[in-house]
Amino acid sequence: MSTTVLLHSIGFGITTAAVIAIGAMGFTLQLGVTNVLNISYGNVMTIGAFASLIVERQHLGLLATIIAAPLAGAVLTIVLARTLFATYARRHGGPFDLLMVTLAVSLIIQYGLDALAHLQVFQFTFPSGSTLHIGPFVFTVLSLALVGFAALVFAALMAALRLTRMGKALRALSVDPKLARACGIPMRRIINLTWVLSGALAGLAGLVYVTNSLTVSAGSGLDFVVLVIAAALLGGAGSPAGAVLAALVVGIASEIVAALGGSYYSDAAALAILALVLVLRPAARSSAAGSRDEVTV
Amino acid sequence: MSYYLSTVAVYFGVDLMAAWALNMQFGWAGVPNFAFIIFQAAGAYAAAAVTLGPDTGANSFQHYILGAHLAFPLPLLVGAAAGGVVSAAVGILTLRGLRRDYQAAVFLLVAVIASDIASADVNLFNGSNGIAGVPQPLSSLALSLGPSVYQWVYAAFVAVICLAVLLLVRRLGHSEWQRALRASRDDEPAARALGLNPALMRMQVFVLGGVIAGLSGALLVAFIAAWSPGAWQYAETFAILTGIILGGVSNDWGVLIGTFLVQILFVEVPSFLPQIGYPGLIDALVWVVIGFLWLVVLFVRPSGIWPERRYRVLARSRRPASSGEP
Repeated sequence: MSTTVLLHSIGFGITTAAVIAIGAMGFTLQLGVTNVLNISYGNVMTIGAFASLIVERQHLGLLATIIAAPLAGAVLTIVLARTLFATYARRHGGPFDLLMVTLAVSLIIQYGLDALAHLQVFQFTFPSGSTLHIGPFVFTVLSLALVGFAALVFAALMAALRLTRMGKALRALSVDPKLARACGIPMRRIINLTWVLSGALAGLAGLVYVTNSLTVSAGSGLDFVVLVIAAALLGGAGSPAGAVLAALVVGIASEIVAALGGSYYSDAAALAILALVLVLRPAARSSAAGSRDEVTV
Repeated sequence: MSYYLSTVAVYFGVDLMAAWALNMQFGWAGVPNFAFIIFQAAGAYAAAAVTLGPDTGANSFQHYILGAHLAFPLPLLVGAAAGGVVSAAVGILTLRGLRRDYQAAVFLLVAVIASDIASADVNLFNGSNGIAGVPQPLSSLALSLGPSVYQWVYAAFVAVICLAVLLLVRRLGHSEWQRALRASRDDEPAARALGLNPALMRMQVFVLGGVIAGLSGALLVAFIAAWSPGAWQYAETFAILTGIILGGVSNDWGVLIGTFLVQILFVEVPSFLPQIGYPGLIDALVWVVIGFLWLVVLFVRPSGIWPERRYRVLARSRRPASSGEP
């Protein structure tokens, strides 16, 4: 492989990483705070993409199209969490039971959407702008905007987690819920904030994904959530910085594998990295949430 | 009607075998193998390829690896072996000391990525078109008996293998090994303290389940004569799992009942219901129903219709200890 091809695929990889990172930040936040490994996260991304598609078809303008996705994601997530997840958490409790519930929700949304959408794939048009050459890399205006946007989301999230009282409470909760409760942290409010924030990020990730792929179908989220979950597990639950770093690794690795000629194996690259980490670095297995065995929904 | 019933019988036998195998892993050992269907697929692909012969000449319209001509019972063994080998490879990566929900997520990733690769890579098993034209076993028999009788013969053959699997499962189900497996599922540190090796036992049950899964795939592909990624989407594992959860995790008879009910829901209902809406609508709606079924079962009766038997071995063996060792 020539250096040019390598550099180009690194450039594509950074764009892919930006797309993955937005989803992975939301996923890792959700997992870290609530301890629920939410399989239906990918379906929330799909719903976000569909919400934007519907608004775009109504010609309500670019801003409305962009806002629709995170809004739909946040609303859907908080409703699911407060009704379904909370009910099951009260009853049986364990993280695995909740995973089964999110899986059932995932099946319902996936195939319900399929039924509603008549199994169709919809075209999604989004202005991608002209092509730019920056150093050795090739970007479109859209992909640069995506990278910038992901960086902005990351900076805002880190600032909120590090500098505000709510953010500190949220981090405390994800490390030790019992102690956090004993310290008088308003659990309910923080947990709801987490659901809303992570749901919004999921919806946004769905929109960002389809601006890249330009099609929406009931299965859109599924293809993509694989990379998101891989990045989130790789980065360690509850760590947005880890998620972003892992997204970069996964994104660049998958584009390099694609450039090497095995475009079908690009997703498998993410899994291979995850497997490698699980095998070589046992410490990566016990993440921030690793020792907790209860959920805080 | 007879043709239909024999077809359903074959499907039921194959599903039942798969459900018992998955129950060993999920029920006995607590391994959330959400990638189960890829082991069935591995068996089916391997068996099909070694039946079809090389992908040249009459088969040059499709590409696949492992092409060979093996006589009838051998492809079944190859399928079983393929299921076992792929399980061992996946097991090495996933059966580490991961949290159970993380493990489940990793299995799900494996399932989605495996089917993506099989769909996209045409050189592996002919991509998304899949392989077709797999000759039926003992096709000379098929000619002399006629298709209807032949179907029943094959269904009987599947039933015999299914019975053999049941005997194996029952035998193992009363073994010390299975008790040790369930003990390490419920309390791994305690099991380790007793000198058991939970990691090794999990690997054993995982590969054994994979072998049965591969066998079930081989039986299925010999019957339907074709195999493509559409037949083993990640969600298919949940069709099998629904039977287990509905019937009763870790209970062989519960799994049988649950699998039967799911079979009715998946096969009977769509074929006897009048066609509503567009093609594919009913299939999608069946999955939605399955999702709601999970929610209801998990809420109302998480242990299923016929729950796992409570063993009293522990209570009995505790007595001598409490009655005063010196």
